[in-house]
Amino acid sequence: MVYKLLIVDDSKLARMAVVKALQSCHPDWQRVEAGNADDALRTAQRDPPDIALIDFNMPNKNGLDLAADLRALSPDMPIGIISANHQQQVIDRARSLGAVFLPKPLTEKALREFLATASQQLQGVPS
Amino acid sequence: MDELLKQFVIESRELVDKAVEDLLALEKAPNDSHRFEDVFRAFHTLKGGAGIVEFGAMQQALHGAEDALAAARAESRPVSAPDVGNCLSCLDQVVEWLDAIERGGAIPIDADSADIVALFARAGAAKRAAGTVPSTARNGWQAELLDAHRAVAARARTALRYTPATDSFFRQHDPLAQIAELQGLLAVGLALREPSPQLEDLDPFSCNLTITALVAASPPDVTAALADEARHCEIAEVSKQPRAPGGESVARKGRELLEAQLRLLETTKERRQQGRVASAGLVATNVLRHLGRRAEADAVATAAAVAIAEDRLEPLAEAIGAALNPVPSAGAAEPRRAQGSQTIRVSSERIDALVRLTGELIVAKNALQHSVKLADQATAFGVTLKNQHAALERLVNELQRAVVGIRVLPLRAAFQRFPRLVREMSAELQKPATLVIEGEDTEADKAIVEALVEPLVHVLRNAVDHGVEDAAARAEAGKPAVATIRLTAARKGEHVVIEVTDDGRGIDVARVKQVARERELVAPEAVVAMSDEEALDLIFLPGFSTADTVTQLSGRGVGMDAVRTAVSRLGGQVEVRTALGTGTTVRVTLPFSVLVTEVMTVEAGGQVFGIPLDAVVETLRVEDGGIFPIGAAHAIVVRDRTIPLIRLADLLGGAPARGKGSGPIVIAQLEGELGAVQVDRIGERMDIILKPLDGLLTGSRGLAGSALLGDGSVLLVLDLGEFVQ
Repeated sequence: MVYKLLIVDDSKLARMAVVKALQSCHPDWQRVEAGNADDALRTAQRDPPDIALIDFNMPNKNGLDLAADLRALSPDMPIGIISANHQQQVIDRARSLGAVFLPKPLTEKALREFLATASQQLQGVPS
Repeated sequence: MDELLKQFVIESRELVDKAVEDLLALEKAPNDSHRFEDVFRAFHTLKGGAGIVEFGAMQQALHGAEDALAAARAESRPVSAPDVGNCLSCLDQVVEWLDAIERGGAIPIDADSADIVALFARAGAAKRAAGTVPSTARNGWQAELLDAHRAVAARARTALRYTPATDSFFRQHDPLAQIAELQGLLAVGLALREPSPQLEDLDPFSCNLTITALVAASPPDVTAALADEARHCEIAEVSKQPRAPGGESVARKGRELLEAQLRLLETTKERRQQGRVASAGLVATNVLRHLGRRAEADAVATAAAVAIAEDRLEPLAEAIGAALNPVPSAGAAEPRRAQGSQTIRVSSERIDALVRLTGELIVAKNALQHSVKLADQATAFGVTLKNQHAALERLVNELQRAVVGIRVLPLRAAFQRFPRLVREMSAELQKPATLVIEGEDTEADKAIVEALVEPLVHVLRNAVDHGVEDAAARAEAGKPAVATIRLTAARKGEHVVIEVTDDGRGIDVARVKQVARERELVAPEAVVAMSDEEALDLIFLPGFSTADTVTQLSGRGVGMDAVRTAVSRLGGQVEVRTALGTGTTVRVTLPFSVLVTEVMTVEAGGQVFGIPLDAVVETLRVEDGGIFPIGAAHAIVVRDRTIPLIRLADLLGGAPARGKGSGPIVIAQLEGELGAVQVDRIGERMDIILKPLDGLLTGSRGLAGSALLGDGSVLLVLDLGEFVQ
């Protein structure tokens, strides 16, 4: 199955790294990038992605707030939050939004696992 | 250089610039929490980027800075000046590394974060044990390994002994392949773990190997590369340095405790043993902190949190396993190579060559223009020539616009290092001073922007060193404790004006005169006869300095005369205004660009001049009664607007105009205001290269520069703005 992945991170370098990892595990998947929360929301509304991968630490609106907004738009979308920030409340909030926590820096292995789980979720396989 | 690395360098440079700006601002306003978050985020993002391109040393260095900032935040205290200084040093090192990457196309293999890490460690030393963990002794297997591979032993930094899980095959994991993928792998050894059983008892699917390896990468890098499998490995640093005295028993106990935690976790079979996990995590974290290994302590604490949240043991087990490897001890400091970086991506020599060529092309085109004029327009040839020249002119104009566009830079490029400079000077001289910059978006030719730096540094030094009074004097004068130095830049007509103003003690003209007399720089009678303004100009004489003590920064009497020389060479001027007790302003006026486009030639008083065309709004004629006297001056009315009028011929002191309304009038925009200039004749438009004035003409008012015409003559170009003043 081919999915569309939304990648949100204010660092272009970080987005490039995710794209690179994505290309090696799922070269046929589509992807769309955004550099901040507002652009991400606009993009998501215009052209809804299947899966979202969001960096937590962004200026202005952070990744968790964006995740909350996206969750409101798409209750079933698998969302991954990338962060080096491991405070308990961050982890808890990610959980409560049904988002998965991914440690920074994002390795190809971690991405593959996340996408595998997400893919299964989307196909209706109970996880 | 691959795309990722290129992007890393680009982004990191931007982040560093922003971080420096934010750090300095934070220092001035330590309670600005937004600014603090910005600084923190900048370091955090830089570190993240380093992680993406796997630049371990940079991650470690930045982590030190992050820790220092986080400590300040956790303890609810403002970031201290030493912290800011250390963070700035860290950023300096990052810039050096970025330069090295650009030069070499790859991450420098000898990048060492030890200096920076030590910097932060020293700063935090009061709070924790100041020792670094000594490298472990060379026990049996490591010595054997190094012996067996003597050829590469010198390059080895990490020795590795890896005992993969026996069921690796069923877990689809190939231990040997993983080792083979290690960066900097130097040598590999294989051995059987248990003695080989009889053939019929041999289980081919069970892994019975011990893999040893020597790697050129550092232990943390190797640990990171092994990820999950690190817990099955012993990773040791290969080091030739002697152990730090006294730390060994502590280190050993620490090791034992960590290993105990690991065993605890491994025996925890049931789920929901979060109490155990939390306790193991806490012990491990405390042990590491006590050993002064803060980075690893943090990593373990983080891993414990994740393990508890996700109800898995692995994250914590891995983190403790990784921590069971010694931190590289601080190595001998390598001499820092101070080298600059290219701040443009095209070599400036190429741009300069391009500018030169374009200039020569314009001169050639102008020469052609003369020939075209001479060609007989009655012939077909004459017409063809004229048309072709017109086409050529259009293209050359476009080219020139494009080239000038490349070379014009905002002055920010020169100014951005100054806040830091002022900060350092003010710290060194113990005179609190802050720099306020305005108009840094003002643009000027690159050559000028660059040449401006040194003279401005002199001027800033003078301001802090001589201008600003010491704390006591300032308090007495009722001035704020922190002096303000303003650096402003603005475009005025064909020039760029830069001013440095301080709120210090001002220049004592009487003292200036006295020193000039004492040092016999000017004849004594001349000094007496001087007005205050003229006397002020004496400070630009070589060998002049009124400082009683020669400070390290200035006062050797080379300051202002060097500034004047440098500015004159660029075709500009520098002057000083002062008010005793209030402050001083140094004003530098420079030509905007070395290439100015079109001028309109005009004749007045028997001479021909050029007026830059972009100052011209329109030209017209008025009838005899159209010029009104207003006091001593004149004006005209155009579309219900009254515009002051100057007669160029009168201004130049040439022959007076023939009749009152006879000459054409050029309406120009002067300093934002409209003004009218009456001339005798308006000539043609032409493109010229405006050369700054030099030689005898330097400092002449009202002239923007001169240009060499196609027929070899020199055209003087007016700067009408100066006439209005």
